[in-house]
Parts: sequence; C-alpha cells; structure tokens
Amino acid sequence: MLPPASGTGKFYAKAAKSIRLIRQGCTNRPFFHISVTHRKRLNSQPVIEQLGSYDPMPNVHNEKLVALNLERIKYWLGKGAHVSPPVAELFGLAGFFPIHPRSYMNAWRNRKTTQENIAKQMEEEKAKETANL
Amino acid sequence: MTIFFRNLVQNNVKIILTRNSDSQLFTVSYRNLSILPSVYDGKEDPAPKFFSSNVQVLLRRLTRPDFAKVFRKRTNSGRDVLKTPSYKFLTDEELEAEIAKANKRADRLLQMPPIVKIHQPINEILSEDPALIGYDNVKYLFTDITFGVANAHRIIVERDPDGILRSSDHDIRKRLNQTYFPIKGRKLREPIMFTDKDRLNSLLESEKYEFVLDRACIQYEPDEPSYQKITSITYQHIDMNKNYDMLRSTRHFGPMAFYITWHQSIDNLMLELLQTSAVREAVLLTALRHEIHGDLANGEQVQALVHQILPTPIQLSKPDRLTEEDIELDNKCVECIEKYIVGNSAMKSQQELALQGFREYYQQMIELSRGLKKAHGNA
Repeated sequence: MLPPASGTGKFYAKAAKSIRLIRQGCTNRPFFHISVTHRKRLNSQPVIEQLGSYDPMPNVHNEKLVALNLERIKYWLGKGAHVSPPVAELFGLAGFFPIHPRSYMNAWRNRKTTQENIAKQMEEEKAKETANL
Repeated sequence: MTIFFRNLVQNNVKIILTRNSDSQLFTVSYRNLSILPSVYDGKEDPAPKFFSSNVQVLLRRLTRPDFAKVFRKRTNSGRDVLKTPSYKFLTDEELEAEIAKANKRADRLLQMPPIVKIHQPINEILSEDPALIGYDNVKYLFTDITFGVANAHRIIVERDPDGILRSSDHDIRKRLNQTYFPIKGRKLREPIMFTDKDRLNSLLESEKYEFVLDRACIQYEPDEPSYQKITSITYQHIDMNKNYDMLRSTRHFGPMAFYITWHQSIDNLMLELLQTSAVREAVLLTALRHEIHGDLANGEQVQALVHQILPTPIQLSKPDRLTEEDIELDNKCVECIEKYIVGNSAMKSQQELALQGFREYYQQMIELSRGLKKAHGNA
C-alpha cells in the first residue's frame, strides 16, 4: 500500500528535517502540500507530516489559497527543521516570518518589467502615429 | 403623478400599510410580494434580552410544543431505512425515565436559533509593505488550520497585491472555513432560493416557512445580514397571513415572536391568540412585550400572573372541563388583556370583539363544568 500523502509520522529523531512544498496535483495542474520531511529524502518519498497546502492557481475570485497548520509548523521549527525558500516566501507573505528577500526581489523585478512594457507600448504608439503622419 | 399612483393602487389588488417601530412604512401588494426586510442593526443589541432567562421561558412556552409535531417524521435523508417503532411494557419508573429522555430530546429539537446584532465589517490592517507592490497580481489568502480552533476564532489573513496584510472580512472567512472545514448542508455558493427574490417569494406563497428557516439556519450565521433579511421577510409573511400555527412546536416560533415583539407589531398574533381562546398565552405575549420594551402600565400585575401561568400544563387544545382554579386564573388573564387592549393595542376594536367572543364562550364553559360537577354530586 502507498503511504498516505498526509504523512507517515515516522522519522529519525536526529536526522535533519525540512519543511518544503511537495507537488501533488497532476499534469498542467500544480498543487502543493506543505510537508515536513527528512532533508535527505526526495520529494517523491513518504513525508513525516503534512503541515498545510498551497494552490498556486488563482480561483474564480482571483485568489491563491494557502493553508498553514501553524501549531505544527511551530513545533517542527522548534525541533530545528529547515525551511525551503518557496515555503519561507509563503510564510513571509502570511506575516509568520519576515518577508523573504526573494519576494522583494521578485516584486521590484515585476515592477521593472511592467514599467518597461508600458514604455515600449508608448514608443510603439508614437512610432505608429509618426508613420501615419 | 397622482394618476400614476391611482393606477398603481388599482393594479395591486390590495395594499396594506403597516406601521413599523422605526416609523417606516412598508408596502405589501399581493401581486408581487415586496416586504422590506428589517435587521437587528440599531443601537440596541437584542442578544442580552433574547438570552435572558425570563424571555427564554416565555418564548419556549409561547412555542406551545406538541410532542406529536416535535417528533414527527421528516425526511429519511441521511438514513437508509426508517426505523420501525418498538413497543415495550414499562414500569412507572421506567416510563418516567423515558418521558424525561423525550423531554430532553424535545429541548434539543426546540433549541431556538439565537438572535444577535449583525456583525461589523472587519477592517484590520496588520502590516503595510509598499516594497511588495507588483509581487503578484492576485490575492493570497492564508488560513490557519490548527486542530481544535473554532471557526469564529480561526486566523484568516490576506495579502493584497498592494502589499497590505489584513484580516479577511466575514464573507471570505465564511468561504474559507467552509472550504477547509465544511459544515454539512451548507453550500459554498448561496442557494438560489435565497439569492433569487422570486423563488423565495414562491416558497413563501406555498407556505414552506419551516423549510426556508431551517435552510437559512444552516446556510448562514445568525449575525449575517442576509440571514436576518431572509428570516425577517419570512416572519413578516407569516405575520401578515396569520400562519402562526405552522411554526408552533418548531424552534422558529420563539425567534418569530421575539422579532414581531421587538418591532412592535404583536397585534396580529394577539388577535389570533384571542380568537383561538388562548388567553393565557396572550398574557405571556404581553409579558414578553413588557420584558423587551417595558411599556405596559400593568407590567407588575402581568409578571405576577406569568408566575401563576407557567406551572400550569400547556393547553394544546381547548379544555373540555374547568376547575375552579382554572376559572380564577383565566378571569385574571381576561382582566389583564382588557387593560392591555385599552392601553397599548393598535387593533382595539377587533381585539375587543375577539375578547368578548371568548368571554361568552367561557361563560358557557363555566356553566357546563359547574353543572356537570353538580350532576356528579360533588359540588
């Protein structure tokens, strides 16, 4: 029988743990569990415990849903679990951790590209106008 | 303009104008129902009054619970097979225990949905971070799914595209709670019978009050504006059509009685009680009014009378024989009601007529039971 995705509850006490996103979903439909697992284990291997979920595809209301079992997350952090960067970013957005530097980086990069795009559009319009004249 | 209005009046078969407590007029036309819903959003909070033990006792008694109706068979949803009744021989003690058990079960079934003020919107900004603008163009909703936390106290926050972290408002909280911790029978989308006015209307016209109220109870929280709107429309419809009997012995009668008392429109219910010769309940209704508004001249007398009425058994039908204590109590009740009609009623003539009818009927009853007593030789 396959081990449950919600975790087996079995772990080595002294082994390093990590809280990470485990892709569940299917082809073209990503969905992630936030789980704690041994740091040396692959994402395809059984996890210790599921701590939440993250749906990266916006729903009809244009929202991304994240569920966090804060009590268990605190427990595993207390046990010295390592947090992977994508999870740390989510925790930061949730106000549970400080905002991850990568979030800021993505934010200003996105702002920059939108500004560039706007500038490009303006230029194109100007070029069109001059061509028409 | 006047011609237009006259046309309007002619078109609608009947227009009733009823006075509301907020001196606001609401129009009811039978062609298309247009009841204005009123919610508990005023300065005063109804909860302390509703939950006070005096009011609870009065409401429970006004419900007039008939166990034949309380324990009636409803649907077999959720059950594969309906249970066949079992018959047993019991000793007196066992029978008493069974009756106590049945009373407990009835209490559970008749537990009234609470009446509270509508909730205030949540506008709590937890942090602002303009450096996050542009991170994503959608909202992130974070739900704390820690085990054993009540839905009302669950942490649910959202990170907006403009970098603001805030507590979510009630509608989002409800949706996420239902997503992660579904309540059986509650739908993620509002049922069409509540959103579409015509469908609600047709349900009310076919007098499916209990269905509407039961479903509203599951679908909404008691402090939601939509819950209070739907229930208020239903209560007003019942009040206008005098269909009180359909709610008796259900858990919705108490909130309805509270609603019409709170909005100062108990005259229809009072008239119905007098016409069905339930004077004791009429006194309880005046007592309820006194508990909520405190505007009766003979308030203390009413309260004293309530203490005499409450220990007497519930009269599910008209009694066929009267004892002397009954007669004394009922006469006191009639006196009390008389004073109420003179002092506080807005439907004086009709209620006086009904009371007069009751008096005549009661005189006959007194003569009959006294005559019977005499005939049996123990007068």
